Amino acid sequence: MENLKTNAEITWCPGCGNFGILTAIRKAIPILESKGISRENIVMTSGIGCHAKIFDYLNLSGFYGLHGRNCSNSEGIKIANPDLKVINFSGDANGLAEGLAHTMFAAKRNQDITFILHNNSVYALTTGQFSPLTEKGWKGPSTPKGSFEIPFNPISLLIEVGATFVARCYAGEIVHLTETIVKAIEHKGFSFIEVLQPAMPYHKWEEFKDRIEHIDKEPKTKEEALTAARNLHRFTIGIFYQANRQVYHEGLYGDHNPINKKLSRDERLDKIRKILES
Amino acid sequence: MEKEVFTFMVGGKAGEGVKKAGSVASHIFSSLGRQVFQMDDYMSLIRGGHNFSVVSTANRWIASHYMKADLVVNFDKRSCETHINDIDSAGIRIFNSDEQNNVDGIGIPLSTEAEKYPMKKLMYGVGAVAILSSVIGFEKERMNDVIRTQYPRGIDDNIAFANTIYDIVNPKCGKKYPLEKGYKSRPIITGNEAISLGAIAGGLDVYYAYPMTPASTILHFLAKQAENFGLAVVHAESEIAVINMAIGSAFTGAKSMVGTSGGGFALMTEGFSLAGITETPLLVILSQRPGPATGVPTYTEQADLNFALSAGHGDFLRIVASPGTVEEAYHLTAEMLDLVWKFQTPGILLTEKHLSESNMTIDLEIEKAKWAEAKLHQSGEYKRYLDTDNGISPMLFPPSNNVIKWNSYEHDEVGITTENAESITKMHDKRNRKVQALREYLKSQNTVNIIRGENPTNIFTYGSTYMSVIEALRYGIMNPTIVQPIYLNPLPTWELNEFKNQDNIVIEQSSTGQFTELLNGKAGLNIRDTIKRYDGRPFDPIELSQKIREVLE
Repeated sequence: MENLKTNAEITWCPGCGNFGILTAIRKAIPILESKGISRENIVMTSGIGCHAKIFDYLNLSGFYGLHGRNCSNSEGIKIANPDLKVINFSGDANGLAEGLAHTMFAAKRNQDITFILHNNSVYALTTGQFSPLTEKGWKGPSTPKGSFEIPFNPISLLIEVGATFVARCYAGEIVHLTETIVKAIEHKGFSFIEVLQPAMPYHKWEEFKDRIEHIDKEPKTKEEALTAARNLHRFTIGIFYQANRQVYHEGLYGDHNPINKKLSRDERLDKIRKILES
Repeated sequence: MEKEVFTFMVGGKAGEGVKKAGSVASHIFSSLGRQVFQMDDYMSLIRGGHNFSVVSTANRWIASHYMKADLVVNFDKRSCETHINDIDSAGIRIFNSDEQNNVDGIGIPLSTEAEKYPMKKLMYGVGAVAILSSVIGFEKERMNDVIRTQYPRGIDDNIAFANTIYDIVNPKCGKKYPLEKGYKSRPIITGNEAISLGAIAGGLDVYYAYPMTPASTILHFLAKQAENFGLAVVHAESEIAVINMAIGSAFTGAKSMVGTSGGGFALMTEGFSLAGITETPLLVILSQRPGPATGVPTYTEQADLNFALSAGHGDFLRIVASPGTVEEAYHLTAEMLDLVWKFQTPGILLTEKHLSESNMTIDLEIEKAKWAEAKLHQSGEYKRYLDTDNGISPMLFPPSNNVIKWNSYEHDEVGITTENAESITKMHDKRNRKVQALREYLKSQNTVNIIRGENPTNIFTYGSTYMSVIEALRYGIMNPTIVQPIYLNPLPTWELNEFKNQDNIVIEQSSTGQFTELLNGKAGLNIRDTIKRYDGRPFDPIELSQKIREVLE
């Protein structure tokens, strides 16, 4: 567990933006440990896609779920044992196509999990089809004449539906990404980071590097955040929104923990007896 | 005139307190120490339509309602017309004389009397209780006590109304059916309540569901009891979310359960397969209603058997079992929770609307419920998918010093993704060894209920149809052997071999005879005839006994 590496063969393309995310996570976890968050209490989930290979490369406990569904796995982990910190890795298709409803509802509920969206704006693993975040005109194998759908704006979308920490980062700025991941995991509530991440067969780093800009100052209100998310171009990185709102599991059962504070068999049978006698 | 079985039927529009009147009748019978079976028939709507409740009571275990009632109370014309034949030849028909006349029976001005009170139509149910009380000779004072506790809104009005109705009815049919008292007042619960309590007794920690009749009342019951028992009970955005949340919870060691009906389970099959490869202990309650698709939401059927047996893509062990009675539903739910944890695989408790939503008096030995616990890894290097003799890998849950990886891809023993040919074969073999281990384990358990009879023909049935069969045979005074497999996968063929060359008939609620096909295909049984019902209604014991007699002769 020491260096957070496994023996698995890494099969991302050389130069893939996913390496930046993996590096940032490996740097973030010791920082979190220095802040009192034990690595044993951190678990990850991933869906299916290039993003998800991080599950095999990162020596952390976790659940490698289905395409689009790992957000629900993350919610189930947090609900059953709220002592755990859950990092939910997702691609843009995993989280915003197949898994869109789950992502929206997790944000609506303010589930206390961290959602990292690897945005490469393409279906890389399945050979280059357009994704929910692909710009108009993309010529992939499923859109030979060019896609004519408009992309989602993940930042304004997540702010609107209820996420309480929303940021955009860039896989080429590891220090900023690491700091933001640490803040997101420390944040109590649904934290969402869109990470701009070139996929080598489809993009060049230069396309990103030259366009990346940092947000001037963090917006203060939800309205300001939405305005910034809508108006600033999609290579603007930084924290767009932070707020406090009751997290889901506390609304559900306060400071209870279904696993650690489980009633014994005898206590349960006594209560069942009372119900049947009433 | 005392009857072995007395049946009370009440019918009217949704929103007039029909079901409540049935429940109060059950409560009165139980308070007299008698046993009860209550079936509620309702339509998929909130106001209007036609609903009815049938309560049969006896001084013995009673396993079905009867569709020939001794007392029928109709709130409206539609009810009267619908149930014109659902009455015993000596039975009493009460109709609402404000809606109709020229009906054979006793007309009472139910609407005129109810209009005098602010709650109006909500009073009808109270009126039905008053009529029943008069007919069975239940003293007015005791009736008033029952109304006070059962109808706490507007108590004075309710009691005044009940006494008015009682006094109108009493001279005409008072004490026509005095009921002999029994010796023990028992709790009355539905199948879904039994499933919920069984799950709690078996160690349930978290329950996820998306509302779907006839499974919704499990969600409602558990949500209400969540705080009392320290459970997390969640209504999620879809059945897909539901099953994936439950799997996430199981990853932390939480005893997880989900509940739905056929259409919802169709959405869950992707996750069900996920539970198969990740070896997630997960219990699914699948309460059937008539399909395909939306089908008939509030009625009963047994046509999801094949679906349950083969749900989810890929080769993996699916444990499927179906309870025959409300009491068995309690024990089997706890047992299934224990089994899915013992064998780390998903299981389905297959039931039907008829069991889920019918009420019965129960004699429940609650402490006999099984208790689910994980087999834990003790020491040394941890591998989530350690290849063992019986295929079962010891478990660990976060937080842990060890890395615990559950993987939806085919994986190596540690849980890292693999495409290696040898590893793929090895993992298939490991998971498949659990099938043999489960079969061996079940050989020491009660997997089939067999009631030995004298008739040379055997009757095979399962699920709540078992109760209909028992009651029909009792009514018809017939004595064949009854075989009710509790486990449907693995089908306990070791218990069924003795019937191979005998004369067998099947009784089930599927139009294509799915259970017949299973017994024939998996257990090699010759089935001479299948009695089916697939109009959404449970079997009536009188009609069923006639059909059984025809087949036996």
